Amino acid sequence: MFSLPILAQILWTSLATSTCFVLFALAFALVLKVNRIFNFAQAAMMTVGFYAAYTVVGLADGPGWLGFLAALLGSVGVAVLLEIFGFRPLRKRRASSMFVFIFALVISELISYVIMLVYGTWPATIFPSLFWPVTLVGPVAVSQWDVPAVVSTIAAIAALFAFLQFSRAGQFMTAVADNPDLAEFYGITKDRIYLITMIVAGLLTGLAMFLYGSRAQVQPMSSIDLLLFAIAATIIGGIGNLGGTAITAVVLGIVQNTSVLFIPSEWQGFLLYVFLFTAIVFFPKGIRLPERRLARSTPTPTINADDSGEA
Amino acid sequence: MEYFYTIVILMALYVILAASFNFVIGYGGLVSIAHPVFYAIGAYASALLARDVGVPVILAIVAGGLIALLASVALALSSLRVSGDYLLIGSIGFQLGTLEVIKNLHWTGGAGGLSNIPSFLTQTLGPQAYVAFAVAVAVCTVLLLRWIAHGPYGRAMSAMRDDELAFAALGRNAMVMKITIFALGSGLAGLAGGIYAHYFRFIAPGQFDLLQSSALLTMVVVGGLRSTWGPIVGAIALEALPQAITFINLPPSVLGPLQGILFTSLVLIFMFVRPQGLIAASARWRGRQEEVRDANRA
Amino acid sequence: MQTGLKVTNLCKRFGGIVVADAIDLDVPAGRIVGLIGPNGAGKTSFFNLVSGVVAPDAGRVMLDGEDVTGLKMAERARRGLARTWQNLRLFPSLSVLDNLLIGTRDYPGERLSRLVLQSGRIARDETQDRLKALDVLERIGLAGIAHTDIVNVPYGQQKLIGVARALMNNPRCLLLDEPMAGVEGQAYRTLQSVVRGLAASGVAICVVEHNVAFIRDLCDEGVFMFAGKVLARGDVESLVADPRLTELYFGT
Repeated sequence: MFSLPILAQILWTSLATSTCFVLFALAFALVLKVNRIFNFAQAAMMTVGFYAAYTVVGLADGPGWLGFLAALLGSVGVAVLLEIFGFRPLRKRRASSMFVFIFALVISELISYVIMLVYGTWPATIFPSLFWPVTLVGPVAVSQWDVPAVVSTIAAIAALFAFLQFSRAGQFMTAVADNPDLAEFYGITKDRIYLITMIVAGLLTGLAMFLYGSRAQVQPMSSIDLLLFAIAATIIGGIGNLGGTAITAVVLGIVQNTSVLFIPSEWQGFLLYVFLFTAIVFFPKGIRLPERRLARSTPTPTINADDSGEA
Repeated sequence: MEYFYTIVILMALYVILAASFNFVIGYGGLVSIAHPVFYAIGAYASALLARDVGVPVILAIVAGGLIALLASVALALSSLRVSGDYLLIGSIGFQLGTLEVIKNLHWTGGAGGLSNIPSFLTQTLGPQAYVAFAVAVAVCTVLLLRWIAHGPYGRAMSAMRDDELAFAALGRNAMVMKITIFALGSGLAGLAGGIYAHYFRFIAPGQFDLLQSSALLTMVVVGGLRSTWGPIVGAIALEALPQAITFINLPPSVLGPLQGILFTSLVLIFMFVRPQGLIAASARWRGRQEEVRDANRA
Repeated sequence: MQTGLKVTNLCKRFGGIVVADAIDLDVPAGRIVGLIGPNGAGKTSFFNLVSGVVAPDAGRVMLDGEDVTGLKMAERARRGLARTWQNLRLFPSLSVLDNLLIGTRDYPGERLSRLVLQSGRIARDETQDRLKALDVLERIGLAGIAHTDIVNVPYGQQKLIGVARALMNNPRCLLLDEPMAGVEGQAYRTLQSVVRGLAASGVAICVVEHNVAFIRDLCDEGVFMFAGKVLARGDVESLVADPRLTELYFGT
């Protein structure tokens, strides 16, 4: 029953649909690595990004590219506001990580409720139809959504890694991730870098949400579930390890999509929580890939249960 | 009058929830949003035991609390092994995941909810008896938690929050303490769940969702973290508020999100303007006055 | 049975740096050993390894003949290994007395179940501990500030209280991390007499200190550390007089 064409089909579709999740995971992992916060407020960025695109395309009948821009603007806009009016003042006040977390969580909820009030709770999609024309490449059906999704995701990932490696700001980000106080000695303004990181995360999130909202239905509370996937991938992939996170997101995406063959569809959502628990219980430090010179992992910014580590 | 009883019972329940949540996040310093899920576990466990297994209601309610406690230990053990931040993530997953499970199982009534839950006291002694029952449990909860917080255990909790490394270096077991605090707080939430189930006699997953988490967070943060009266003030004020809104005739599709916006905005405003909450707790730990006096006399 | 602290072949690498290079060190019961060396020599790391803050890559730590290498920090403390910290680490939300009470080896109120079921016993234990704490404060001359909030106590006195807290453990081995830094006058003399008294009662004491006078006055022997290694050991006077060591100390 599981013939090669079917497997190929499933693999292709899974790969294509996991693209959004890779980007969500990378955005989350980046902010965690550089800014050292669990940016639960990414859900707010995602929600606003989607509804901005939806308003332009779905409601106002604007062209797709304008919707895309709206998604980016919405997501980045929220990211910037979060950093300037939220995380930065809390940092200045030396707020505990609990406080910062409650802030991030509550902001996400607030945005969701506002959106709920304005747009209602019915599922929405950016484009009027979820169905994209399909062409056959050999035995595999490739939808018109798939290729742009995969291409843009690969481009975004490449751009991100190039940015981190070669651009001045990107290099500063890596420096701050490794040792924020030392970075300041070298004249790097931490606040500026934190802002840039949030902007980059906003761009990734905006793109991802535009892609996701073009092929799936979104409700005001959806982002929180989507974010959990990103969190699971970040943990399993290894905190601080962007490459690991990306690969994990792809693998998890494939596993989740192929699971439709094995488990009833209503339990598919539950699979995510299984991932999360597996991540926390079995892979809290991430799956250790062989140490490459470039991919050094940063220490987890917490006190570990064995009482070692930085206070 | 019926309406009045319902409000008082709800307030009593929220006092239990807010006080126990305050115990977990304020005194224990454990960040978790999973409180409503233990409320749910207690409610469902008690309801099912009483309705389908025939357990006497009072025992079912206690059992509900115990089952919630055990579930919380499982969550805390698996997450805290790693670190406190992981408890947070674990709690989000647990909160959402458990509700997902409840929605998909047919013997919990699924998304539609569980009805025909056996009543308790109300039909034999009248609703006033249930009000007295709920209020009594609320008072006991507050007094118990206060007693713990101002005794030697409270001293330890305070030190643990101050500097966990130094705390452990003195020989104290922070891990056991955290799990105990989490278990007690969650068990009390479960107890409250049982009390809820047998009065309202209908429970559904939608009643225990993220909105409840925000509501509880609001009560504790706005009321005042680590104060005895803070969660009480928070619970009563924040129960009164949505009731006040229902008097303005708005459709439910507006009312729901509006309540959510109200709760979350309040938390944010307080977090930035008055982080200590309405009733500020003392920055220093104080033992029970009688103990200090006795010791000084010795 | 060997009493005191015995460290064998202790090794630890952090990133690319060797913080402990096959350290062998004996601190017999009743002796005061001073650890000296320039910054970055690995003295505090040594304390962190012995007390269990971090686990070593290799080597053993024995306390009164018992191998404690695999034990967590809290378990070592419960076996009588106490330490102070370079940055104090007192509890700001507690008073002086409460800071001490938390430091007892067996804290009566630690288990909630006991607290609820045996509250009478706990109250009696607490009273005992309170008396002991007040006694310790008496010994260091600070009984008067027992009920003051620790944040309102001057730095020098805070340092003494850090030591007092370690004493509440009834330690068999005491690690003092720069106890004299920032302390002068009467506090200095008090600390000297307290440490000598402890050693006389059989406690094994190891002190990390930059104040050479303190080491000279107090320690029975000195150990010179550099780059994670024990370079020299012996009489404090001769260590201090050795020109090669002096060069290493000031050269960095």
